[in-house]
Amino acid sequence: MEDELLEQIFASYEGTRNELVPILQEVQENLGYLPEEVMQDIARFTGVPESHVYSVASFYAQFRTLPLGKKRVAVCRGTACHIRGAPQILHEIEERIHLREGETSEDLEYTLETVACIGCCALAPCIRVNKDVAGEMTPEKAKGLFHGDGNGNGGDRAG
Amino acid sequence: MANIVKLQIDGQEVEVPSGMNLIDAAERAGVHIPNLCYMKGMKGVGACRLCLVEIEGLKAPVVACNTRVREGMVVNTKTERVQEVRKFVIDLLLSMHPLDCMTCTKAGVCNLQKYAYDFELKESSFTRKKFGYPVDEANPFIRRDPEYCILCGRCVRVCKEQGTNVLDFMGRGVDSKVVTAGDKPLQESECTFCGSCVDVCPVNALLESDPQHKGRAWEYEQVASVCLLCGNGCSITVSSKDGKIQKINAGAPAGSAERYLCAYGRFGFDCMEGDTRLTSPLIRENGRLKEASWDEALSLAATKLKEAGQDAGFISTAGIENEDALTLGRLAADVVKTLHLDTTLSLYGESDVFRKSQTADIDKTDLILLVDVNPSQWERVLPALDAAIRRRVDRGAKLIVINSADTKIGSLAAVDLRGDMPSLLKSLAKALIGKGIKATGQIGQSVADAEITEETEKAATMISEAHAPVIFSSPSLFEAAANIALLKGKIIAMPLESNARGVALMGLKAEGKTYKEMTGTAESKEQNAKSAVKVLYTVGEVPLQKRAEGVEFLIVQNSHLTELAKQADIVLPSAAFLESAGTIVDYLGRIKYLAQVTEPPGDAKTHRDIFIALAKGMGKKIKRPTEAEVKKAAKVKTKLSFSPFVRREGVAVTPGDFIESINASVINGSRLLWLKEAREAATV
Repeated sequence: MEDELLEQIFASYEGTRNELVPILQEVQENLGYLPEEVMQDIARFTGVPESHVYSVASFYAQFRTLPLGKKRVAVCRGTACHIRGAPQILHEIEERIHLREGETSEDLEYTLETVACIGCCALAPCIRVNKDVAGEMTPEKAKGLFHGDGNGNGGDRAG
Repeated sequence: MANIVKLQIDGQEVEVPSGMNLIDAAERAGVHIPNLCYMKGMKGVGACRLCLVEIEGLKAPVVACNTRVREGMVVNTKTERVQEVRKFVIDLLLSMHPLDCMTCTKAGVCNLQKYAYDFELKESSFTRKKFGYPVDEANPFIRRDPEYCILCGRCVRVCKEQGTNVLDFMGRGVDSKVVTAGDKPLQESECTFCGSCVDVCPVNALLESDPQHKGRAWEYEQVASVCLLCGNGCSITVSSKDGKIQKINAGAPAGSAERYLCAYGRFGFDCMEGDTRLTSPLIRENGRLKEASWDEALSLAATKLKEAGQDAGFISTAGIENEDALTLGRLAADVVKTLHLDTTLSLYGESDVFRKSQTADIDKTDLILLVDVNPSQWERVLPALDAAIRRRVDRGAKLIVINSADTKIGSLAAVDLRGDMPSLLKSLAKALIGKGIKATGQIGQSVADAEITEETEKAATMISEAHAPVIFSSPSLFEAAANIALLKGKIIAMPLESNARGVALMGLKAEGKTYKEMTGTAESKEQNAKSAVKVLYTVGEVPLQKRAEGVEFLIVQNSHLTELAKQADIVLPSAAFLESAGTIVDYLGRIKYLAQVTEPPGDAKTHRDIFIALAKGMGKKIKRPTEAEVKKAAKVKTKLSFSPFVRREGVAVTPGDFIESINASVINGSRLLWLKEAREAATV
């Protein structure tokens, strides 16, 4: 599947060095992240060393080299959210889904990340799960959102 | 080309070529501009901000590494303002660098330590940042400790420029880390373990694996010498302590494209103390090799050689020093009086070709033409040539490749010509003549029937426009390729052994039976049966596993007990290459000096001392060659002349296999074995 997809993507490029970032973006859009073998293929296609592809992919925050969970939980740590208790909320969610910031659960259910501002400071503190924003968060509300109920959600911490 | 520019640096007038950067210019004036990321010969990147200088008329300080000299420029390198910036940079770096100079192996040669000392910084005034990165020490060559890394990027750049492309930055900002693709250990990357990164690391982030806590830089004695393990004959710097080699580094001048050393040259030295090292002469008694004294061994050898006379034969590697070659020639011709003397050179070329090979400067060439030469750092075939070409191309030189097969280096070529090489050369010659380059009648006539293609036309245009083209050719195609050099450029015959050219110039060539005939490896069986010599004397590590049939008595002179030596009647222990002072003539025609770094172990002696002692045993005295004699022989120049566009047949060795087989004792007797095992494990 990946091979076919790559072929399709590569078909619209010439295979030059300056196409590296657009190709990485397009691949990630389709796969959700940049698997190692795919980066090797991209290196071959663009004629850029593998180490450099990896370097570029790790430089930009937009690229991920690990798959994401189904639910991407983003806790806002902007100034407004911070003073209204974002650290406590982050802590609560960490406990609930057994993940630390930046981690993805092994069953690929959750990814936990922090962001600098979601853009709705009036609702601080807020979190975002995929595209849904939840504002005026409290640790209790967070507890309700993430049961961590042993249904396979959360579980072991991903490494 | 280069105009001279006059400028003032710290009050001193200097005159330097235009286009030079301020760091190099200041060095000419005896002024050191502090820097951590600058590398001579490469473009400055201005990453470390340590080389900031002030130029009169400019408001802000500029980075010296990336600023070119201008006429009348007034540069101040030590103003209060820049000193303050530099101190700040070092202060910041120290905040993320372990402060354990007291136990750090790099102490004394660490640039960060030096600058911290200069700016009197005991510790950082910032909060200490610790990363907790793991150390990569799973290989026996290079120890990578990112905790010490100051992110100067020198290793990344050196690795990129030479084309290995293993290292690069991961992440950004202070959290960047120098890693392989996927942040894997070196052996899981494309790393060739050449150690170029170790040579350029200013701190303790990249270091050879072994000298950890075995000695500090100031305890080492450093001498310049030459590596003899392949046809590149790289310059090396050998560090020793208490008479033992501690490490070997690349020795070519900083900034030269030749400043490179492969894993063999850098890490193969442990073989000098390997298990198979010979320390005493051995004589076969009742079917077994037994230790003997030099007197016993030499008198037996002398008797056998005397008896055999012209039925005795000598074969030697072309990796022996000029002095050894001259002495061997005298021993065979004047003492044993036999014509049968040949070297391994005849397995991949002809001695005449190396006598005709010209001289060239890789650092000055703007166009390289590779004819039937396929250097590869990955296959370990002339890796230093591969690295040098890649660097030259990176610095703007053009590359043309002529080969019958695909080559990895061909991907860098402006023109990659594939096909029948003599015809391609012919076509190229015709195209060159078409550009108005004068040719002798002979060349003109011989190319009359050639066809010029678009590609050869393009190559010819590049050659005719180049200032100093250099052709590197395999010995088999040398004569055909020399026709191009007769039109334009210089031509170098690429040997597989370090002193092939020297051995040829010292006059060692088959006047009687050839190497193949004497070793029973010629093509036909009848020829082999007829051509065996009664007494065969081998010198150095010859790529021979089995004693030839018909050889009644075998004398093996080598530093290690090889498979062949185990079948010998007498084994004479010789010095290895860092144990014997002498000279070689490298592939570019330079006389290079080898220093004796350590004493040969036990009773081992240099090749020439053994030859002289043997001659004495046979009642003759041979003169020890003088430096003047070597120089005189090395200076002889043979002019190029027209030869038909044909390939010389008879070469049957694969360069990679050949280089591996002449270095079998080095590889098997050192940590290089790990590489071989890792490769074998990977292919299973």
